[in-house]
Amino acid sequence: MMQDILLALPMAIIVLGAFVLMILGQSKKLPLEKLSHVSLLFLLLSLLIQLFTINSYAPHFLFAEIFKESFIVDKFAAIFDIMFTVGAGLTLLINNDYFKSRNYFSGEYFALLLFSVFGMMMLSHAHELISIFIALEIASLSVYTLVGYHKDNHLSSEAMMKYMILGALTGAFFLLGIALIYALVGSTSLTDIAQYVEAHNIQELSLVLVGGSFIMVSILFKIGAVPFHAWIIDVYHGAPYPITMFIASTFKIAIFAIALRLYLVDFASVNSFWNEMLQAITIITLFGGSWLALSQKQVKRMLAASSIVHSGYLLIGISSIGFGSDLAAAAVMFYLIAYFLSAAGAFGILSFIASRSSKQMTYDDFKGFAQRRPYMALMMTIFMLSLAGFPSTIGFLGKFYIFTSAIESGQILLAGLGIFTAFVSVYYYFKLVAMMYFYPSTTPQKVFPLNVSTVIIAMMALIIVWGGIGTSLVPYIPGADGFINIAVDAIKSLH
Amino acid sequence: MLSIIVILPFISALFLGILYLSNPTKKRYKLYTLIGSGVPTVIAFISFGLFFKLFNGAPSLHEDLFNWIAIGDFEIPVAFTLDRLSSIMLVFISGIGALIHIYATGYMRDEEGYGKFFSYFNFFMGAMFLLILANNPIMMFIGWELVGLASYLLIGFYHQDHDNITAANKAFILNRVGDFGFIMGIALLFISLEGTAFTFDAIALNIHNIDLQTLTWIGILLFIGAMGKSAQIPLYVWLPDAMAGPTPVSALIHAATMVTAGVYMVARYSFLYVEIPQVGLFIAYIGAFSALFAAIIATYQSDIKKILAYSTMSQLGYMFIAVGLGAYSSGVFHVFTHAFFKALLFMGAGAVIIALHHEQNIFKMGGLKKQLPLVYVTMFVATLAISGIAPFAGFFSKDAILASAFASEHYLIWGIGSFTAFLTAFYMFRLLFTVFIAPASSENKLHSLPKSMTWPLVVLAIGSATAGFLGRNEAYGGENWMGHFLALPDMVIHLSHKSEYLLGGLNMLLGLSGMFLAYKMFAIKSEAPQERHFFNRLVINKFYVDTLYTRIFVQPLLLLSHLIANVIDPKLFDGIITTLSQGYLLVGRQFSRLQSGKVRLYAIQILVGISLMSYYMLFKLGVLG
Repeated sequence: MMQDILLALPMAIIVLGAFVLMILGQSKKLPLEKLSHVSLLFLLLSLLIQLFTINSYAPHFLFAEIFKESFIVDKFAAIFDIMFTVGAGLTLLINNDYFKSRNYFSGEYFALLLFSVFGMMMLSHAHELISIFIALEIASLSVYTLVGYHKDNHLSSEAMMKYMILGALTGAFFLLGIALIYALVGSTSLTDIAQYVEAHNIQELSLVLVGGSFIMVSILFKIGAVPFHAWIIDVYHGAPYPITMFIASTFKIAIFAIALRLYLVDFASVNSFWNEMLQAITIITLFGGSWLALSQKQVKRMLAASSIVHSGYLLIGISSIGFGSDLAAAAVMFYLIAYFLSAAGAFGILSFIASRSSKQMTYDDFKGFAQRRPYMALMMTIFMLSLAGFPSTIGFLGKFYIFTSAIESGQILLAGLGIFTAFVSVYYYFKLVAMMYFYPSTTPQKVFPLNVSTVIIAMMALIIVWGGIGTSLVPYIPGADGFINIAVDAIKSLH
Repeated sequence: MLSIIVILPFISALFLGILYLSNPTKKRYKLYTLIGSGVPTVIAFISFGLFFKLFNGAPSLHEDLFNWIAIGDFEIPVAFTLDRLSSIMLVFISGIGALIHIYATGYMRDEEGYGKFFSYFNFFMGAMFLLILANNPIMMFIGWELVGLASYLLIGFYHQDHDNITAANKAFILNRVGDFGFIMGIALLFISLEGTAFTFDAIALNIHNIDLQTLTWIGILLFIGAMGKSAQIPLYVWLPDAMAGPTPVSALIHAATMVTAGVYMVARYSFLYVEIPQVGLFIAYIGAFSALFAAIIATYQSDIKKILAYSTMSQLGYMFIAVGLGAYSSGVFHVFTHAFFKALLFMGAGAVIIALHHEQNIFKMGGLKKQLPLVYVTMFVATLAISGIAPFAGFFSKDAILASAFASEHYLIWGIGSFTAFLTAFYMFRLLFTVFIAPASSENKLHSLPKSMTWPLVVLAIGSATAGFLGRNEAYGGENWMGHFLALPDMVIHLSHKSEYLLGGLNMLLGLSGMFLAYKMFAIKSEAPQERHFFNRLVINKFYVDTLYTRIFVQPLLLLSHLIANVIDPKLFDGIITTLSQGYLLVGRQFSRLQSGKVRLYAIQILVGISLMSYYMLFKLGVLG
């Protein structure tokens, strides 16, 4: 019991923090910066406990007497939890200037952010379909609200509406899927479902397979796979910068937490059922995403569209799992970490720039940026290199592992297409680099602003490079091999 | 201790580099001098300490720094080994390196990039130590590449002059050719060992598992690397041009240390080369012809540094004769003695150059004996040493090499070597007499020399005079201490003392006659060589090898590049790729029209997607046929 409390503490702290912030948020006297510090404090506390307990337990069901097998704690979930709390912390730290520069932010912003982190953590621990649905909705509802946070801006409100309507539509399919599975198995616990699937041959499992497909619809929607992708660009564009950064880096990862768990544990013996379908979706996602990204004029929309392509790469990995690649699961995990770092950094810089100007930030606005802000331009270049998958960055290794797993499982076509779209991605990522470096600046060079946001961004750039070439030379900071070890450990704990 | 030797110069190089970059125009003479020459000096003392440990019979030292690459069971550690071979290298490289660093504080004093120079110079020291102390071929290769980089940076040190950049590029590119062979050799060795541990000790144990043919290839490929780094035919043309760098650089990198890395490498792989004597013979012949070829060119050069450069190449040829024939310790012994007198010659030349306000043509010098007595005496000692006059250092090492050539019955090599010894004495005394004895062509006002430039000469002169005694063999009353200490798999020489005396006497005779001839021709009146007849024109133009290389390699390549750049690339590739990418962009624009912003259309897309999925499920579950 004491152990359960300790293990549930990180989640409890977050939800407690959310309540505290809701109360504090009512006070008109407290400045927003103080609220930001309070939420950071809660996130930090939670993170410390997670780091403290990460190596100290075997897979274990939380409060089994009360919840049966609804929630599991394992290394897999723990690593995702760390990414969520770090992601939320980075969102707050990097956007330290942003919410001060916009007058529409209020105390609820922090509470909603923590609620959504709580939902994601619950999602990574959930081991039962209804809990999964509830967790997903807690996270989603908070995010919907955050997307529409800029009430006076019609883009923001419109984005929220779109996201919510489409989210509800696919959420309905999720419930339908649960119902179908329950109809056959008679239970919603993942353990029971896994046992049932294991014990029966594929002809008797029609309902589970159809239900699984419907659940997949919801997951594919959230990660923005074509043809469920249409919301992504509008929502990323409409949402305030900090929220875009949060959805793109952190929320997207949370969906993979549950997707991997379902796919690797519950449907492990039948996941070849979806092979061809996943391949088809992967192919159109890769192409569709890169087509969309090519034709964007605004950097934020381009990053949104390119995140569809990244989902495509992750789907290559998922599909390789179905074809029996041993490496694939760890490759997906590694890619998630790599993408998390690079996307958070790229959106972080955008948001940092946006906090000092009200421009829409088209490609043209970046002309001469390298002269104006040489260090920021350098970091942006590192993030772009990593997103494009250039060697010596962590993004390269991410793609390398994914393509290796695809080739290992015999999907040469997917690997080839992945490499092709990676080539194409150089076009839209490097267009930004070219804009920054190949045009003169109209305004004189600005001093590098040394504050929390920029230091954090600089550290992320360093970690990206270190994660691409680093060794275990520096203790406590994972290099290229450290990150893949983390990914492998996480996957191992699932079995 | 070993890792400190390697790491410390890198740290000081980095520190000096940052310091210099922070304010390139600021003079920080004292600080740069303290760090730049202090670090090599400290390392020299550490090295002496370690050497004496081994000297007193301690076994090889080994030190693991960290694991660089770990793949499964296979590991490449960053680890260093100090065995007897590397300790000899370490002791003279660190010692002479420290002296040349001190000398450079005088030589480079008024240069603008003083800090930059010492940053590069210390970087070179670190890289060289990495090369010799590496305990596996991969670490050695990294050191090998880094010394190449340092050499490139320092040759192009006076980058304001375009010719120097060309010289630096030439050195770098020719070394690339060699390094390509080198890394292919390492790769082939690695593959043939099939994953057994990849340190020198382990390779030596497993070398018998490799078949002879593969071993031959490995030996040849590795030697191609040595050809590049140690300037042997046909990859030598960079070395004379490399003299564009500051004189301390020529002394340290292009005479005493880096260029001997090839010899060291062959000696390091002696366990491999003893298995393939036919490759060894090839190496010996390359060495012999390089020695002769360079010596002939040197007799007609007028630039003081170029003469020394060709002489370096010629002496390297001797070393390769030795290691090629299997007399590894004689080869290393010559590396050792050569470092002293060649560094001294370059530093003396540098002193003369500074004194004469950067004049390098020996025929514009003359009569410096009175004005620069110390330089004259020390350079005289060095010239005696390189000419193989007993009892100076060069006599013993050169004699050991020629004796091995004679004893192994390769008389052609022996003959070439002996003739080259005569030429060596001739061109070296030609230089000495022209610069110091012959009457001056014009009155010179000399630039004064700082102390830091003169006393290292004295130290090296003592070394040049005495270093040879370390390797005296029985015939000369010694016990070949060097050979016993190194304990390399040397060939066994069977020569009676009488024939040894005969050979030694012949060498002395050849050296003295070269000296005498030079005295006759240049001491009284010296004249720059004129292009009079065919042979003499051929030699003055260095056998037209540079022109030949330009014609055969450079121009066809340029032609091909022009063809690709102006025809194939823009018309063929660019055309196709532009068309394709335009098409892709067009499709992208069409596709993004689906992105209409209307939520009902998005919902329809989702429903279409779900419908297709359902169809897939029906099909897959067998409901639809």
